[in-house]
Amino acid sequence: MSAVLEVSGLCKSFQGITAVDGVSFEVRAGEILGIIGPNGSGKSTLFNCVLGQLRPTAGDVRIDGRRTTGMRPCDLNRLGVSRTFQMLQVFPQLSVRDNLILAGQEHEGSMLSRLFGRADAGLGEDADRMIEFFRLSHLAAERAAGLSYGQQKLLDVAMAFMAGPRLVLLDEPAGGVNPTMLGQLRERLEAYHAERDATFVVIEHQMEFVMALCTRVLVLAEGRIIAEGAPEEIRRNPAVIEAYLGH
Amino acid sequence: MSRFGAAALAAAALAAVTVPFLLKSYGIYLLSMWAVLAVAAIGLNLTLGYAGQISLAQGAFVGIGAYCVALLVPLGVPYPAALVCSALLCFGIGWILGYPALRVQHHYLAFVTLAFTTLVFLVMRNEEWLTNGIYGINAIPRPVLFGWSTGKPLQFYFFSLGSLATIAAAVGWMLRSPWGRAFVALRENPIRALSLGVDTRRYTLIAFALGAGLGGLSGALYAPLVQFIEPNSFALGLSLNLLLMVIVGGSGYFFGPFVGALIAVLLPEWTRITEGYYLIAYAVIVMVLMAVCPTGVLGLIERASRAMRRRPVQTPVPLGGERTEP
Repeated sequence: MSAVLEVSGLCKSFQGITAVDGVSFEVRAGEILGIIGPNGSGKSTLFNCVLGQLRPTAGDVRIDGRRTTGMRPCDLNRLGVSRTFQMLQVFPQLSVRDNLILAGQEHEGSMLSRLFGRADAGLGEDADRMIEFFRLSHLAAERAAGLSYGQQKLLDVAMAFMAGPRLVLLDEPAGGVNPTMLGQLRERLEAYHAERDATFVVIEHQMEFVMALCTRVLVLAEGRIIAEGAPEEIRRNPAVIEAYLGH
Repeated sequence: MSRFGAAALAAAALAAVTVPFLLKSYGIYLLSMWAVLAVAAIGLNLTLGYAGQISLAQGAFVGIGAYCVALLVPLGVPYPAALVCSALLCFGIGWILGYPALRVQHHYLAFVTLAFTTLVFLVMRNEEWLTNGIYGINAIPRPVLFGWSTGKPLQFYFFSLGSLATIAAAVGWMLRSPWGRAFVALRENPIRALSLGVDTRRYTLIAFALGAGLGGLSGALYAPLVQFIEPNSFALGLSLNLLLMVIVGGSGYFFGPFVGALIAVLLPEWTRITEGYYLIAYAVIVMVLMAVCPTGVLGLIERASRAMRRRPVQTPVPLGGERTEP
């Protein structure tokens, strides 16, 4: 299988502190790659470098073989790469439906066609389908601010999927979500993955969630990859246990 | 829109059309001033209220628009063409002024735009060859449109009101398009918006340029209304006053600028009964208003109407589990 995402020799330092230190890996089409590691191991910085929020100090990022290092997040997004953030990031004053339409509206046509085209940018039905897929139909017209935390989290993930991305990077999707909702979220992620043949990269602390969802896991510690393998192997890997439990 | 909102809007429209007939010329002049400044406030509400970019330059754009018309009309340029020139000129300058906003935000941006206002003021005052300096420009004619003169106060009021209605409709239509959604996203969470494919740079520039363009239109209406313009009218005070209108009315509410402009134009007049203290009384009222309702008058009304509705407990059916609060 071909690589959707290739990261090679990626480094990022902030004023002398190296957060990501020469990370290289590939993500193959259709897989769900988990990235785990203790706090401060550089996981989110890695995401931010891959997605253009931060400019890497060194190294390269390729998407479908095309070099995308330093591209702006909005341009990357239009290439079919989407993400969620560690903290909830919905637009509280927009309705659930408008949050989703917004997430898809910039992908086709020009600025002028968006001004003079339809108010819902022709995405009303897509948004409604996505709302149904994430079982938020009874909330479609509510402002996002009125939703519970777990519901906002679902909306957040749904927004990342709205434009039908091929590669989705999820930064701690399970953070702060209760166990019941977590099961729902995982089930929805798996369903989307199966339906669209998408590729996921997931940063997560919640081990059960990672072990159940991911097909392969990378372990990051102090900015470097210290282990890689199938979930069961990682669970038994002494270097991983060492990194998590400390010295 | 709720039934209450529609009724309030109909009543306000009725009042706007009928009340001037009951007023003397000074009252009509004030209402015309309301309509003209509301256009500039709508522009600032777009930049600040929707797209979240602070600007202390709106008064300067009104000035540029006013001078543009005052200088072009005597050269024989038809008023409608001069009006379009004002809007386009301000749109272009606003676009350029948007570039600093791509680098700095909030109070830093406020200072950048404040410096721009000062710069425009200095040009108006010092470049006498162009602007006639502190003597200003006199006897600006009121336009005749399609054979219909706007010379009398009531006629000019209806011309201003019609312009305001047309502009408001166009802005309202724009805000319902994907652009409006993108502006709100830009205000609420630019980083997330960017990650969803929203070109935040371009929308920031558009928000600045459109806001400035409406400032220019307002200026193009202002010049024939007052018929005499001079630099001091467009100094920082006007920019602050327009900012006040947006915030008092309710920043980010479509009808906020209408309410805000009404308050800012009429309140100083009503407080004249306190004679020498009228500006102090005005200041105190504004301070109390801001302390009590920082979301402006419309924010207050919205809060009140929500409390009154008391919808049958707003608990959406949770997804197979109890609500988890962060």
